[in-house]
Amino acid sequence: MLGKLLKHEVKATGRTFLPMYGALLILTIITKLVITIGAPDFFTDNIATGPVAEVILGITFTLYVIVITALCIMTFVVIIQRFYKNLFTDEGYLMFSLPVKTRELIFSKLLVGLMWSVVCCLMLVISIFILSLGSFSMMEVVQDINMAYTDFYTQFGMSLNIILFELFLCMLVSAISSILLIYASIAIGQLFNQHRVLASFGAYIVITIVLQIIVSIILVAVPLLANLDILFSGIDGIKAAQWLINGTTLINLVLCVIFYFCTQYIMEKHLNLE
Amino acid sequence: MIILSAKNLTKSFGKKIALSNINLEIPRGRIIGLLGPNGSGKSTLIKLATGLLVPTGGEITIDGAIPGVETKAKTSYLAERTYLNGWMRAEDIIAFFEDFYEDFNRIKAENMLKDLNINPSDRLKTMSKGTKEKVQLILIMSRSAELYLLDEPIGGVDPAARDYILNTIITNYKENASVIISTHLIADIEQVLDDIVFISKGEITMTSTVDEIREKYNKSVDGLFREVFKC
Repeated sequence: MLGKLLKHEVKATGRTFLPMYGALLILTIITKLVITIGAPDFFTDNIATGPVAEVILGITFTLYVIVITALCIMTFVVIIQRFYKNLFTDEGYLMFSLPVKTRELIFSKLLVGLMWSVVCCLMLVISIFILSLGSFSMMEVVQDINMAYTDFYTQFGMSLNIILFELFLCMLVSAISSILLIYASIAIGQLFNQHRVLASFGAYIVITIVLQIIVSIILVAVPLLANLDILFSGIDGIKAAQWLINGTTLINLVLCVIFYFCTQYIMEKHLNLE
Repeated sequence: MIILSAKNLTKSFGKKIALSNINLEIPRGRIIGLLGPNGSGKSTLIKLATGLLVPTGGEITIDGAIPGVETKAKTSYLAERTYLNGWMRAEDIIAFFEDFYEDFNRIKAENMLKDLNINPSDRLKTMSKGTKEKVQLILIMSRSAELYLLDEPIGGVDPAARDYILNTIITNYKENASVIISTHLIADIEQVLDDIVFISKGEITMTSTVDEIREKYNKSVDGLFREVFKC
């Protein structure tokens, strides 16, 4: 049933996102054309454009930035709105009478939300790539990348891929934990009989503050209790960075589990549709 | 054969008690009217049966199981509000039901839409409230479920459609299935009911067959209701 839920979730969200992506692509191409025609030297240092070209460039750039900002905000809003509106308002009457497990409902929202976040990033990369076409040569880029890998290896004795992978994992897990924090907050808000949206906001703020306090305490307490100099003596900078990255991943992973089970527990045991 | 059973079922919202210590057994093959004034706990009882609410105390079972995936697959629930997404077309929501409910019969749904002159490619948000209710009822009755829970099914539809819908209800359900209809428009549905459950202030005040009421009180259900719940 998860597959079917995913299918319908993509269908329901795609109608918002696809036009936005289309708009971004069209605007990217227009901006690219304006640059190519109006300011061919844009990516070099000697910018010498006429006043008319400058105005048109200004307008297209502003539009471009607005669309990108809107896309990022929309992704965030849709993630929240699909969980809240589809499950906890009138639409919840339909969703919760489907013969599916609660965890399938949560995962369908989470996976599709993550998917659109990733697609959103990809679209931004593609868009920036199109804009910068012609300002660099593919050969040079490939050479630079290869150089970075060799440099990294000679300096630290390990492949750059390891660090990149750990960074990617860290970002992915922290993205999941931020989404699950929102889900848990919305679920906690449902425990109240009135002012549920307000209660959800409250829950979100309280959880964030509590986490901040815990992190601060750890940051202060650990150096006091353990002699970090001994721990880190002989460990080079890159090892320390790895500790930091993987430590963050691990903490976020724990938070993911807590937020997830909190959400599932409330949805299963204390469902209270208005 | 019991399809729905409630034992010492209690549900409270904060301090407000919506249902208190309900004991009820609904057999298969009956059409039951769940009748009571506004705020008597009809919707709460139905929502507990669908699993949309979790009991505060006691238990409710459908075909012996606590509400969950298994019971939801054989329960067809009509909510008292319209829960369909406005952007969907009637045909989209048919595809949705077809995907999730194995007992959904697309042909039945399409025929009923045709009978009630509803265009399957119309978006739900362009439909009137009554039409939306009809679409919802068509979806619910196009399943061959074992238990139908209809919460205020005829409130917003015109009398002509009302007759069609009631007719649909009695002709569409399987022999071993039961239909629970909650309403306060008793006169309209009295003709199709086998049994009645009177509910008041969160408690069941009477369960009886319709024939018994006619014999014992020499009254229609509507008449009895008006007398029992006289203000």
